[in-house]
Amino acid sequence: MNAVPGRWRRLARKVAGHASWVLPGARSGWADAMRRELDYIEDDRAALRWAIGCAMASYMARLAALPRLHWRVSSMPVVAGSLLLFIALAMQGHASGEASLAAFEETTCDLPDVTPDIRPRLRCGTVRVPRDHARPDSGSFALAVVLVKSAQQPSLPDPVVYVSGGPGNPLTVYAAYQARNSYAPRRDLILVDQRGTGRSEPSLCPDLDRTLLEANLAVAAEETADAMVKRRAAYITCRDQAIRRGIDLADFGTSVTVEDFEWVRKALGIERWNAYGESYGTAVAMTLVALHPDSVRSAVLDSIYPPAPLPLWSTVVSEARDAFFTHCARDEACSALFPDLAGTYRETLNRLDRAPLIVDVPPQLHQPDDQVRITAPLFEVLVSRLFYFPTTYPRLPRIIQSVHDGDARGLGTLVASEMAAAMAENRATHAAVECRDRPDFRYPLPAGANVLDRTQLYGVCERWSDLGPAPLLPIGASVPTLVLAGQFDPVARPSVSRHVAELIGRNARWVEFPFVGHNVRHFSPCGARIAADFIDNPGQAPDLSCVDRNPPIRFVSKAQLP
Amino acid sequence: MPRKPNSSRQTRALLATLLDRSQTWRHGYDLSKETGLKSGTLYPVLMRLSEQGLLESRWQDPERPGLPPRHVYRLTSTGLAFAREQARSEAVAVVGDPAGAVA
Repeated sequence: MNAVPGRWRRLARKVAGHASWVLPGARSGWADAMRRELDYIEDDRAALRWAIGCAMASYMARLAALPRLHWRVSSMPVVAGSLLLFIALAMQGHASGEASLAAFEETTCDLPDVTPDIRPRLRCGTVRVPRDHARPDSGSFALAVVLVKSAQQPSLPDPVVYVSGGPGNPLTVYAAYQARNSYAPRRDLILVDQRGTGRSEPSLCPDLDRTLLEANLAVAAEETADAMVKRRAAYITCRDQAIRRGIDLADFGTSVTVEDFEWVRKALGIERWNAYGESYGTAVAMTLVALHPDSVRSAVLDSIYPPAPLPLWSTVVSEARDAFFTHCARDEACSALFPDLAGTYRETLNRLDRAPLIVDVPPQLHQPDDQVRITAPLFEVLVSRLFYFPTTYPRLPRIIQSVHDGDARGLGTLVASEMAAAMAENRATHAAVECRDRPDFRYPLPAGANVLDRTQLYGVCERWSDLGPAPLLPIGASVPTLVLAGQFDPVARPSVSRHVAELIGRNARWVEFPFVGHNVRHFSPCGARIAADFIDNPGQAPDLSCVDRNPPIRFVSKAQLP
Repeated sequence: MPRKPNSSRQTRALLATLLDRSQTWRHGYDLSKETGLKSGTLYPVLMRLSEQGLLESRWQDPERPGLPPRHVYRLTSTGLAFAREQARSEAVAVVGDPAGAVA
């Protein structure tokens, strides 16, 4: 089954895929049932005959679902000819004109963590997109696409397209998780690995991640000048490799990604979808709304990725940290346990400056002696990461206090998980997109930069590629938009996302969630519910009453730490 | 006069095949080969029998790695009773009514 499928087999899959779109929602499981038998039919022509029969059955079921039409099986021969003609015309329609060039090539779903209850809900495949949308003859990249059918059938016609962050983060590999966490009841979900990420082409410098990780650790360990040179060299080596492989680095950027999504939408035969952008995905969702408002029914912008001009990341993190320390000072339990958390944090950095602490890490991380030195800059990086995860907020003051007191053992796990996470993101694609999008990264490190900024792309982009079209803000857009912000978000402060919502205008609603950081929906059941209600009925103000019922952070003392 | 439900030749053929090995879960393609029904005829009948509660279905794990799960079918207890009744009435039609013996 791994050989390249022949012409008849490809046509059979196309016809069976078409049948899946024809069959009405409640019976879509039957479309899957018919389609999947194809892979058990060895003869290609028999497979095509099977697929045509499936399409016939689907059209019959569709017609039978129409009011006052009661087709019987025995009626089939009567309409067979006209149906076949209709199918042929429909297929022909898919094969001519711009929309028709976009096609979903279905494959088997080879994904992790897929349980038997979820498996029938997944359809996996690829959509080939032009490398350069302005030049369709420029060659193509295959993008990995997964369609997750709603657990409740029949599903509603406008699905949700989830646009993940990064840029550079894989997505389809998490399809099983996504399938278990519905965005909106009774809506199918579309997942796409953006070009250069996950299972989508092209593969850009997979070795860069490890080289950068080492260099970034060295930056954090304050071997700065040498490490910064090493980082830049690693990026430029990757760039040169990519160009030698015939990849044009101008074929990246948010404006390109948006056209890829449009291509996928057409390939799946979707008229309109609901765009759910998270983190960097908000830049894609906003540009999608700005350029293709007619194809977006609603947009949710969860944890905005700051638009230009890009603030220094260290400044944003510092504001989030201050907000958290202020919250602690006002919280009875936290202030009793940690009377001056901000002061303790500053003092911890001073202590680590004078005497870094050592933590053990798992051997899989290949660190000398399986240890990592916790320097002041590395501690700053780790604490900034903790703001992403509200589940760590109750322990955060205690962690700071422990490191202050010379005990960094609790950080070993965090270092390990952060290093593993860094390896999962495609840093080359991250650079490829950011260097096209962000003028800020074409300049040297700004004054006042610290370790968090030194691991960004300052000083890299001017040698990577030319600047491309900027991501867009859909100012005055008619598409209903919901903007979700977390109180302690270390990527975009709530004031920034509120400003974005104001720029979008009267069709945008902005909601701030207390005790949440980045990625509201993931960490706030209330946020998930509000987003689902909004997608269900974008024209109506969502019920926000759960926002104020968010339980407070229950800070833990040292005695409660494991 | 409206036709008796599930009395078409195709439906009877399918019910007879399902009755033959009533405890075995059957695949669509195999049923198609065994009954001679094309997929365009087979599946509408399967859907209808399922909606009438005569047929149960489930997803079966792939037979080999790399293949998709398969939808499989068998008669429910109601379906079994119905198919037996159908088979018996066919036998009666062939040999003639044995004077109320079928009652």
